Amino acid sequence: MTDTLERETVTTGRSGRSGRAADRSAARVTRRRRRSLSGNDNLVGYLFVAPQVLGIVAFVLLPLVLIVYYSFHEWNVLANTFRFVGTENVERLFSDPKVAPVLGATGIFSVGLVIGNLSIALLLAVLLNRKARAITLFRTLFFSPVVVSLVAWTIVWGFLLQDDGGINGLLQLVGVEGPNWLREGPTAMLSVIVVQVFKNVGLNMILFLSALQGVPKEITEAAAIDGAGPFRTFGRITLPLISPMILLTTIITIVGSLQVFAQIAVLTQGGPGISTTVLVYYLFQQAFEFHRFGYGSTLALVLFVIVLILTVVQWQLRKRWVHYEN
Amino acid sequence: MKTRRRPALRALFYVGLSLLAIPFVFPTWWMITSSFKPIGEIFAFPPTLWPQHPTIQPYVDAFTEQPFLLQYWNSMYIAVVVTAATMLFSAMAGYAFARIRFPGVNALFLVVLVGLLVPSEVTIVPLFQIFNQLGLVNTHWPLLLVTTFGAPSVLATFIMRQYFVTLPVELEEAARLDGLGRAAIWWRIAMPLAKASLGAVAIFTFLHTWNLYLEPTVYLQSPELFTLPQALTRYTDAYGGQMWNVQLAAATMTAVPVLVVFVLAQRQFVEGLAQTGLKG
Amino acid sequence: MRMSAMKLSATAALAVSALVLSGCAAGASDDDTPVSLRMTVWTSNEDQLALFDEIADAYIADHPEVKSITFDPLDFESYTTTLTTQLAGGNPPDMAWVLENAAPDFVSSGALVPLDETLEATKGYDLDDLSPSATELWTDGDGQLAAYPFSTSPFVVFANDDLLAAAGQPTAAQLQADGRWNWESISEVGSAVNATTGKAGFVVRDFDYTQWDYLSTVWGGWGAEPWSKDGATCTMDSPEMVDAFTFLHDAAFTAKSMPGPGTAADFFAGEAAFTVTQISRASLLGESGIQNWELAPLPEGPDGDYSIVGQAGVGALAQAEHPEQSAEFIAYFTNPENSAKLAQYFPPARTSQLDAATLSAANPVLTEEQLGDIVVPAIENGEVRPSHTGSAEIQQEVRSALDALWVADADVEGTLGDVCAAIDPLLEQ
Repeated sequence: MTDTLERETVTTGRSGRSGRAADRSAARVTRRRRRSLSGNDNLVGYLFVAPQVLGIVAFVLLPLVLIVYYSFHEWNVLANTFRFVGTENVERLFSDPKVAPVLGATGIFSVGLVIGNLSIALLLAVLLNRKARAITLFRTLFFSPVVVSLVAWTIVWGFLLQDDGGINGLLQLVGVEGPNWLREGPTAMLSVIVVQVFKNVGLNMILFLSALQGVPKEITEAAAIDGAGPFRTFGRITLPLISPMILLTTIITIVGSLQVFAQIAVLTQGGPGISTTVLVYYLFQQAFEFHRFGYGSTLALVLFVIVLILTVVQWQLRKRWVHYEN
Repeated sequence: MKTRRRPALRALFYVGLSLLAIPFVFPTWWMITSSFKPIGEIFAFPPTLWPQHPTIQPYVDAFTEQPFLLQYWNSMYIAVVVTAATMLFSAMAGYAFARIRFPGVNALFLVVLVGLLVPSEVTIVPLFQIFNQLGLVNTHWPLLLVTTFGAPSVLATFIMRQYFVTLPVELEEAARLDGLGRAAIWWRIAMPLAKASLGAVAIFTFLHTWNLYLEPTVYLQSPELFTLPQALTRYTDAYGGQMWNVQLAAATMTAVPVLVVFVLAQRQFVEGLAQTGLKG
Repeated sequence: MRMSAMKLSATAALAVSALVLSGCAAGASDDDTPVSLRMTVWTSNEDQLALFDEIADAYIADHPEVKSITFDPLDFESYTTTLTTQLAGGNPPDMAWVLENAAPDFVSSGALVPLDETLEATKGYDLDDLSPSATELWTDGDGQLAAYPFSTSPFVVFANDDLLAAAGQPTAAQLQADGRWNWESISEVGSAVNATTGKAGFVVRDFDYTQWDYLSTVWGGWGAEPWSKDGATCTMDSPEMVDAFTFLHDAAFTAKSMPGPGTAADFFAGEAAFTVTQISRASLLGESGIQNWELAPLPEGPDGDYSIVGQAGVGALAQAEHPEQSAEFIAYFTNPENSAKLAQYFPPARTSQLDAATLSAANPVLTEEQLGDIVVPAIENGEVRPSHTGSAEIQQEVRSALDALWVADADVEGTLGDVCAAIDPLLEQ
């Protein structure tokens, strides 16, 4: 009984999600009947997902449960004290004057990173979506930061962003007095975003390239014959066709943006003031540097809830703008 | 495209691209050239574009200061094993989540998706406790197990599922009429069609595993077990000062092979991905 | 250990996981079976690790109760973090190096077992040989030594005489001979160097406008302290401190004798006339390409002479399984004979070994004269870099509040008042 119900919701859920027409659902119903004849399908299903599901239970859910447990304790690792404190850490969260600016910085960083990363990745993908020998070279150049060591990457950018560094040297050539990038609030945030965008934009570029190459030429050419300009064709035809890829990269990039902190630690140490202290950096400080594992765990849960909400919203919104081919 | 027909426009296009490429390439360039500099020259300001006194000593030191070859092997075998295992298990899970309507499939998929949402900094302490209880600290097992089955593998399963969803129903039905079972359909029909997505999974997984830093730092204690990103930061002189030139030499040796593979494979990768495509 | 085992059983029960439970039976007590010891260190230097292994091998040969001793090199940058993770995960090392800024936390929390009894019981150890100024930081509330300060490294000034000559300025030796070896003159000379050559005047190494505690090598000359002796009251806003920071602010923004925020200058790449750093950095001189350089003590401030040292200690962790065996090994590791061996890398805390001859083995670029005149007195009289319980958070709060000071039109006194407002609640704890 529950079995049938489950399947029913699964089917409607799926057809709704992929936006397929009603006749598809009908086809599914027949298919379902046919499948129920072969009983070992379910068994294969469970066996196939077992490694992944068990892995998630052991290495994600179980640690999460432990994190929830820790967040009700005060845990000083050095003194080796572990004491139940009830909701003290939650209260601390609401009275901690740093939480609001930290969340603000996290929001600015993530929005900036996602917009910067996706728009540059898409631009590069469009520019490099052609056949020529030199194009291979350029794809490699734009991809190369992805594999360069973080150490080298941050050292060089630290150099370039100095007050008398390469960037300001270039600006001086055109007669502009550049700011002291890493020492002033707004430009420090801009700097860490840009450095992070350049480091990882190559991966999204490749994903967009593959999506663009999947767009049939005939469709864009037909649009051009109909008199649509290149921008109109791109906006009306190409973008909707690659929207599933945009969804995927957006989710990956948002989640990734909330987990960045090594570069911030090296370039600005969260400063000036706490203007570039993002949530993951703050929780790392609290847990590992200030020895407050309990409070760190509470902050970790906040981070988890934020990512969860964002992803659910994305997933819900996708029906509005993601175009699925049949 | 129009630019192809107009040489002037085309030249402009490439000049523009080259300018755009500078911020991407300069750090790589600096890393490689600086690895041939004596340590005093590395922090010379403004940075020198070419070593004034080139030396290969940093490359020699990289091997004598640490068991670098062994660490290279560690990184390589871990990345290869994790990549291969992830391709297999994510294809299995992705296929089942996309094509088999067993009871609880959606609930289980949601459980798996949670893994996509948890930063590794969040779970590192409880994970460390678990592996410590199992006696697996200072072994490669935590790296192999967590990256293959834990949070990092979810993206792979997600990509595979998104591909398998697009497989035409008719293919499976035809196979079923031919008397193939579920597992055989997966292996003989679905997998060969999923090569491009598997390629994407392979690249993502390999890069992620190759660049892991936090986990090896926490789990591994003996230099013989270190992986490359972890080993890179351990080149210090007798007084704890960083031997930057040696670090950069090691970093170059770490990055260049991956870049070379990318140059060789990128066309197949991009075009292969496009042919069948990650359609969502 | 017991504590964390308890905690884990609780969490395991809560999680209802066979995974965790399966490992719980492993904690057996072993009085007779030989034990394996592990020490976390932050050096990866082959020569140093070889020396440690040599000492450990000699110890194992005489001590059947110890099976092996390993030295785990952790990354310096994330050393305390990684050590903390190992503690949190229930896998503490038996022994650990501790940096001076983490010392109060480790000492006061009881994370380290007291060593006195073991050291006193060790034949020929001569505990009284340790200089009291060196052990102060490592002594707990009960007067017990919680860690052995194996490295006491003084801060000194290196001067680039090549650059000074190029700028037409007096060399460090001339300044000293003229009785002008003070901060005021250094800033004057540095300012002139900057104006004529575009290079930097003086650089407080590793400060970088973030690691402000390195500035104690400057404000010591003004007799300033960041907080009271008992650590309970902030004195970052004292008149001496305001004067010292006014000097530094002036040096950075008006005289331009110190590179401003966001501007790096590396002395050892020939980019600065003077640098304040630890003596051990002398090893960089060999590769620097600087032909003529001078080693000098810290310059005088308005308050006269002073010296500052950086320290590192080694202790046995109470949470580990074999604290007694660990303490015994530390007693051997740091006995007079081995201390002399370690002295080639780490300036010792033993007064009997604080002589130019012992130290010169360690610093081939320095002459016995330089060592005897400058380094030895600095170690004997040096004050340790500021530290406090909860130092990481204090470090972070001060760094964040001080950022307002590093702009051209800063209010020095007001900013230092803000610094105190920020850390007062932390100091009281």
